[in-house]
Amino acid sequence: MGEKEISKPVELVGVGASEGAVVGPVFVHVARELKPERESISEDEVGAELERVEGAIEAVTEKLSATGERLRDVGNEEEAAIFDAHVELAQDPELSSEVEERIRNLTSSEAAVLTVGEEYAQMFAAMEDEYLAARGDDVRDVTHQIAAELMGRGAEELEALEVPSVILARGLAPSDTARIPKGMALGFVTAEGSKTSHVSIMARLMGIPAVVGVGAALDRALGAETVAVDGGEGYAVANPDPNTVAEFERKQEAVAEERSALEEFKYVEGRTRDGRRIEVSANLGSTDEVEEALSWGAEGVGLFRTEFLFMEREELPSEDEQYEAYRRAAEAFGEKPVIVRTLDVGGDKDLPGIDQPEEENPFLGWRGIRMSLDVPELFKPQLRAILRAAAVGNLKLMFPMIADIEELRAAKEILEECQKELEREGAKIGPVEVGMMVETPAAAVCAEELAKEVSFFSIGTNDLVQYTLAADRGNERLRRLQSADHPAVLKFIRYTCEAAEETGIWVGVCGEAAGEPELIPKLVKFGVTELSMNTPSIPKAKKIVSEL
Amino acid sequence: MPEAGLHARPASLFVKTAKQFSSSIIVVKDGREANAKSPMKLMTLGAKKGDGILIRAEGEDEEEAVDALVKLISKEEE
Repeated sequence: MGEKEISKPVELVGVGASEGAVVGPVFVHVARELKPERESISEDEVGAELERVEGAIEAVTEKLSATGERLRDVGNEEEAAIFDAHVELAQDPELSSEVEERIRNLTSSEAAVLTVGEEYAQMFAAMEDEYLAARGDDVRDVTHQIAAELMGRGAEELEALEVPSVILARGLAPSDTARIPKGMALGFVTAEGSKTSHVSIMARLMGIPAVVGVGAALDRALGAETVAVDGGEGYAVANPDPNTVAEFERKQEAVAEERSALEEFKYVEGRTRDGRRIEVSANLGSTDEVEEALSWGAEGVGLFRTEFLFMEREELPSEDEQYEAYRRAAEAFGEKPVIVRTLDVGGDKDLPGIDQPEEENPFLGWRGIRMSLDVPELFKPQLRAILRAAAVGNLKLMFPMIADIEELRAAKEILEECQKELEREGAKIGPVEVGMMVETPAAAVCAEELAKEVSFFSIGTNDLVQYTLAADRGNERLRRLQSADHPAVLKFIRYTCEAAEETGIWVGVCGEAAGEPELIPKLVKFGVTELSMNTPSIPKAKKIVSEL
Repeated sequence: MPEAGLHARPASLFVKTAKQFSSSIIVVKDGREANAKSPMKLMTLGAKKGDGILIRAEGEDEEEAVDALVKLISKEEE
């Protein structure tokens, strides 16, 4: 660890990913990529290193057991079982004996733990059985925690958060944010990420401030006790002095005031001054977000992502399980439209039971509709579930990643097939409007032809920006090229709207751009009639629309 | 073998049981051996439901250990 002056303020400058300000205690989430502080040791350090490892394993075991117990207390038996398994991994006698051997060969304790963990993790990753292959992550997780403990950065578990805190991390994956107990995250500060990374989207969804992409400066803030975050400015201060605290608290109040001023807009309809109806809807990542969306005044769901049903599990979800989820959303929104997007997963995320080859460019790979069309056992149950759920509400569906008319027609054909099957089976189904996402430049360029085949377009600006400008969404150095407010992207959007108007179909926008105050006027001017966004942006978007 | 084979969670139960005995216990599959008290080694065997495995114990409570582990596996198999 070395000497550290913990009282000195550390400034962190990044991207303002979610508005709001907060001052709160620091909670460090251990980074996944951990580098040993020392690689080797001298002969006379061996004894002490062995003792340190033993202590670290004990400490990690205790933390893991405590988390398991707490989960069990609240009735979450399934997750508790995962922690039991992690406890066993931490205490694995082979792990400690292999680590011991390395330490005796003068490797530092943390390097030994990380190397042995990595060796096993890779051994698992190479295994044929997909479930076992994924267990490499368990091993990595546990050994990283032991190594972090050795380096004096207590591996705190997100589940263990008991005091509402600001979470500092290298990055936060969906599995990380899902583990945070409700109400325990006051804000996020991460070294990696951009406005559209998962952590940013989550922060906006939760209505808490986030500063992402602060880079290596984060390391200097890990020892701090308090941090002040301004998610609007993209600025945070660890160990803030009293003046800074006061300043950020004033900001916090101002944000709260603005929110309460926008309160009335939660309950009004999205409409421009000249009376044009603009539907202001929510993007949903799971059925758990339905209530939250309604409470922010969502007039429907412009994008219901279905990936949550497929992630982190051992088998594909059944048609009935999917039906249940779609029905719940449809029912909750009643007359209001809910647009379900069929599965959009690629090589960057694992699907149970699907053989996904490793790809160099998952975002340009076998994903979205491309995968769905190739794997009927994935696609058909989803379409059938959507058709059935449409019987209870106003469901629409759309296909992601369409690049040409052949894909669209093939998808519609399978949909028709499902419809016929269900009718033959005597199942209750409802009418479903069919649309497509415009997120590839190819789709935007061919909008005229594609418009004749669908009832609506939904422009996915996040991907459209990334593909149009050839700029990776997660690359911090490309910030300038990560906004839809770029002439090339705007041209595509305008052209898509024109083509839609000619054919008589409507256009929605469901990317980040839909909730950006400076872009809303442009989108509405182009002819967009539905804006779908993360829920906290809804009241403000309605207000902006009402002033147009 | 348990439904999921000797995966993280079932393996954890197996290991817990094995640890109750002082004998050294080895699981053999396809000629490869693993320490029954090590979930990592066990998982590297990649045993799945229906795979034949051999449990070998040596020590004071060797018989009880093998009995308990066989019982555990057959129970999960059902």
